[in-house]
Amino acid sequence: MQVTITVNGESWDLDVAPADVLLDVLREQIGVKSPKIGCERGDCGSCTVLLDRRTVRSCLVLAVEVEGHEVTTVEGIGADRLSDLQELFITLNSFQCGFCAPGIVLSATELLDENPNPDRHDVQEALSGNLCRCTGYEPIIDAVLAVGQRSGEVTP
Amino acid sequence: MVIPHDFEYVRPNTLEEATRALADCSGSAQVLAGGTDLVAWLRDDAVHPDLVVDIKAIDGLRDLAVADRTMTVGSLVTFTDLMESSVVAEHAPLLSEAAETVASPGIRNRATVVGNICSAVPSCDAGPVLLAYDAHVHLVGPEGFRSVPIEAWFVGLRQTARREDEIVTHLTMELPTHGGCYVKLMRYGGEDLAQAAVAIVVDDAHDYRIAFGAVAPTPVRAHAVEDAIRGRAPTEDVIAEAVAMVRSEISPINDLRATAEYRAHMCEVMLARGLVAADQRRNGDGPEYRTRLI
Amino acid sequence: MTTTHPFEAEAERNGELNAVGTSAVRIDGIDKISGAAQFVDDLDFGPGLLHGAVVESPHAYARIVSIDTSKAEDAPGVVKVVTGQDFPYNFGMYMGDRYIFAQGHVRFVGEQVAGVIARTHRQAVQAAKLVEVEYEVLEALLDPKEAVADGAPLIHPDLGEYSHVPWFFPKAGTNIAHWRKIRKGDTERAFAEADYVLADTYRVPRYAHCAIEPHVTVGKLDHAGRLTVWTASQSPHTQRHLFAEALAPLGFSHKDVRVITPYVGGGFGGKAGVTMEVIGAAMATAVKGHPVKLRFTREQEFYNTYQRQGVVAELKVGVMNDGTITAVEHTLYWDAGAYVEYGANVVNAAGLSATGPYRVPNIRNDSLCVYTNLPPGGPYRGFGYSEFHFGLESHLDRVAAAIGMDPVDFRRKNAIVEGDELSYGAHMNPSGLLPAIDETASAIDWGVEEQSDDPNTVIGKGIALFWKAPAMPPNASSASFLKFNEDGSVNVSVSGMELGQGYLTVMAQIAAEVLGLPVEKVRVETPDTDRNPYEWQTVASHVTWSSGLAVERAAVEAREKIFDVIHQVYGYEDDTLYLADEQVKCTTDPDFAKPLRDFVIDGIQTEDGTWRGGPIVASGKFMPEFTNANSDPETGQGGHPNVHYTVGACGMVIEIDTHTGRIFVRKAALAVDAGKAINPDLVRGQITGGLVQGLATVLYEDMRFDEDGRLLNPNFTDYKIPTAFDIPDEMIPIIIEVPQPDGPFGARGVGEHTMIGAAPAIANAVFDALGVRITSMPITQEKVAQAVSASPT
Ligand code: FES
Ligand code: FES
Repeated sequence: MQVTITVNGESWDLDVAPADVLLDVLREQIGVKSPKIGCERGDCGSCTVLLDRRTVRSCLVLAVEVEGHEVTTVEGIGADRLSDLQELFITLNSFQCGFCAPGIVLSATELLDENPNPDRHDVQEALSGNLCRCTGYEPIIDAVLAVGQRSGEVTP
Repeated sequence: MVIPHDFEYVRPNTLEEATRALADCSGSAQVLAGGTDLVAWLRDDAVHPDLVVDIKAIDGLRDLAVADRTMTVGSLVTFTDLMESSVVAEHAPLLSEAAETVASPGIRNRATVVGNICSAVPSCDAGPVLLAYDAHVHLVGPEGFRSVPIEAWFVGLRQTARREDEIVTHLTMELPTHGGCYVKLMRYGGEDLAQAAVAIVVDDAHDYRIAFGAVAPTPVRAHAVEDAIRGRAPTEDVIAEAVAMVRSEISPINDLRATAEYRAHMCEVMLARGLVAADQRRNGDGPEYRTRLI
Repeated sequence: MTTTHPFEAEAERNGELNAVGTSAVRIDGIDKISGAAQFVDDLDFGPGLLHGAVVESPHAYARIVSIDTSKAEDAPGVVKVVTGQDFPYNFGMYMGDRYIFAQGHVRFVGEQVAGVIARTHRQAVQAAKLVEVEYEVLEALLDPKEAVADGAPLIHPDLGEYSHVPWFFPKAGTNIAHWRKIRKGDTERAFAEADYVLADTYRVPRYAHCAIEPHVTVGKLDHAGRLTVWTASQSPHTQRHLFAEALAPLGFSHKDVRVITPYVGGGFGGKAGVTMEVIGAAMATAVKGHPVKLRFTREQEFYNTYQRQGVVAELKVGVMNDGTITAVEHTLYWDAGAYVEYGANVVNAAGLSATGPYRVPNIRNDSLCVYTNLPPGGPYRGFGYSEFHFGLESHLDRVAAAIGMDPVDFRRKNAIVEGDELSYGAHMNPSGLLPAIDETASAIDWGVEEQSDDPNTVIGKGIALFWKAPAMPPNASSASFLKFNEDGSVNVSVSGMELGQGYLTVMAQIAAEVLGLPVEKVRVETPDTDRNPYEWQTVASHVTWSSGLAVERAAVEAREKIFDVIHQVYGYEDDTLYLADEQVKCTTDPDFAKPLRDFVIDGIQTEDGTWRGGPIVASGKFMPEFTNANSDPETGQGGHPNVHYTVGACGMVIEIDTHTGRIFVRKAALAVDAGKAINPDLVRGQITGGLVQGLATVLYEDMRFDEDGRLLNPNFTDYKIPTAFDIPDEMIPIIIEVPQPDGPFGARGVGEHTMIGAAPAIANAVFDALGVRITSMPITQEKVAQAVSASPT
């Protein structure tokens, strides 16, 4: 089937089978590799992308469903310059192997879009579907809270 | 794993087209809304439909509103919609309390309430809440519209009253002024399927509606408990009476996630704590909605 | 090569350390946060890429009667189907008991029986279902105690034939693949003379690593006969070696095998050695010219890579009334699974150290590696120590209580210190165990009773000590290359793996320190065995120490070459020269400053117009030269198998909801003796990560098998790993620094240690809160609720 999908601002006309999932199409047909294959059944969050600005598990979305919609990945978020969140992830040692990081950045981005000054519970809730086996989460939560505090300082 | 089987995909724009597609399909067909269950099952090769009918382009399935104390929840309303709706928070707070326990944001942004009760696994979080809200499920099929009371909806393990050529359009519930709670047993703080759950609604006359999840092949209403304590505030004695009846209302099993004994024990604990919290909330105090009681 | 130990030499020459000991930001940071970092599955291989799928055994133990691949071969897109007949070879890390594809028998559910290679992944998966295998089902052994019983069926009748390292002692004709014994002093007499003796049994189930990146391998045998394998691995050189050995009959020499390992999405031991990679490598040899990708599903990840072995631990401890431990007998029956080529060394390591970090005069350890028909056991963060510390540290709390001693005082009294004799006769290295105990105890306000306002909530505190030595062959080694670039920046090549621990950054810091460079001027990348020098493996928490020494030595060699050029041209003596701020400086001539960028490639022009110097390149290697594994098989005495121990302590404050049994961790403190924290932030990262991983093993994780040996929870739906909600309210990382004399700048490894203490500390806190002792892991909310309702109080 022919579908048109916008990925990180670029429009793609693709030929996909109904059984092709968005995650595989992004990685194999478009070459966007930051959404990772972790479990392929919705449990780990490493395939997280923004679909019309809301996080989804791209392993549980058929590519044909995305016709006419807009997909954003980490490549699209930090394209010109890293976001504050990404900067803080580096300085606060918020990832180790980094496999979870693209998905976590997107989940945190969605949170901060909706709620620029979240509390610890909000952050935990927003990240609860993104598994990280390395960090123990604490430095991730710190980074997201720190972005919130910064934004609080700029716009009191 | 890739989805091993091919299938046809259609995305009709009207209910009529959708039901016709279902009726015309010579093999098996599946309705797709959020897809968080369906795509996982496709990958597991647990279902192999010939046709998938995506209903997301159909207008009018996203209602989420209250009129005359009756709340309507369209079949494309997601769990995130429930959590973000002030109407839900005001009139049907158990829906958002339950929604927050469903998986995680990336799932809730896609998964629909109606899809949850169509999948009808014993642990579905919407089940007990809709039972406690006495919801009605509205469907359309080749023979037109019909509605099914929620208690008649769940007919068995993963089985519902929906016929294969029908599509659920929306849910309705008539809501009294009430307090309530949805309490869910999970193995840890993170997302989990319910090992046991209870939904409680109490109105100003201390009329209770109580339903359990994940402790029987379907979510179940606990009518006997409701009858026994009707009209009485949840004092210690009343709670003890209710708790004593729990085990005859449920039929929990031993499985990987929990033993039958622990499920039963936790139903007692959750009912005891839930009755208190529900009544306090009715009164306008008690723990805020969405705070965990266990 | 320098003989002065640079740890002092650096400090002396440069005054303060500039790069080492700072929390330099990770050099892989931008790669990973921008989405640029490539993991194996992210590499592109063009249209010729084929895809593999594996046909697996549904039985725990069976004889393969026949395999019919004809239907699969005819399926659309299928290029090749291979079985054990195509690769009748065995291999293994420490013992050659493993096969590329099953040979005649299958020994666990999920074992690879055949492989299908097709044009698309979907075609491979579909065709794999068409391979028909007929089995004769045999009686399976799922429990190690049953497997060691007299008359138990044999899982490996050929055990006596397998090659193995000299420090293993297989018992042919039994299911005991290795039996590590330690005999020291006279335990019988000590127990008879002890004031108090306690014996009990502790049980620890199997666990899964759950790195979020699954195992992926792409193999390619090109038309020139060169085999390249891209793997998600902790062990590129070891993999190259095992591929070359396992496939040697096909005519490969080591130089023709190349392993390329980009970033790895978490390892925890699960990507050490060789598991599915050999399947991918072998499949590639069957379709010359085509790259073949094999990516394990999450399910396969659970049941056909390594698992952490389960153990039944029988423990007996004798003490005097003053708290002195006089004897320990520790018998460990390891459920090692169907193949123990790697797991047997876990058993060995645990057997050597099963007394924990204590001074014990009389010891009898028996650590038995027992074959079972469950998936192969293997290395997992903690390498046997996580497992036995649960019982040991639980037990010591009970012993202390029985003689009326405070558990912290009791541990302090018996804590091993520098020079104490170890179970195998060698002596303990310098360690910060005592400060670790004290700082941990004070972080959790040990001794201060806390009470909850909620009548349904009880509070408990628990403490546990831990130790661990790198478990490796006595001659495991590391090497490094270093080269300067025109602008005075440096490339360092090593073959340790960046698993997330920050290895690349730490190597850069060490090189930067020696060379007087900012860390940003040093590039260290993931390896390619063609280009990068040897590293044994990134396991055992040894690379900071071992690879760090190799890098330090390469940097020292480069520095010597730099000084040599300066000496030739300007005449300054080497011992007056030093490197700082990217320049060569001289202690006797404050005006002298020669920027490195001016000469590290092109050399320095002398007065007569000729040039001296040239590109500065260097190499370094490290192999411990004081270790040996030649101990007496019956007593374990005489060898020096371990290079050193890293020690520490872990403390927990928990609340328990007595109705639900749910444990809430309010505070978790962990002190570990890093010797010298090359990068304190990265050490803290290991502590928070290890604590949470350890907590998960004690609170809810475990692998569950049915009576047919089938894993019931091979997914994150039912094998729960921590989410952002499942962390302590507060984590207190404590870094102790008692230098390791032979470590780079005094450093020793900490990666695994941070996971060990959590489980027993929780068990002890549960006891403190409820007065109930739970002796099996995990201590789930359900178990706690049960214990509460059963307890008299
Ligand atoms: S890969 Fe999609 S949630 Fe794990
Ligand atoms: S950093 Fe490794 S999984 Fe999160």
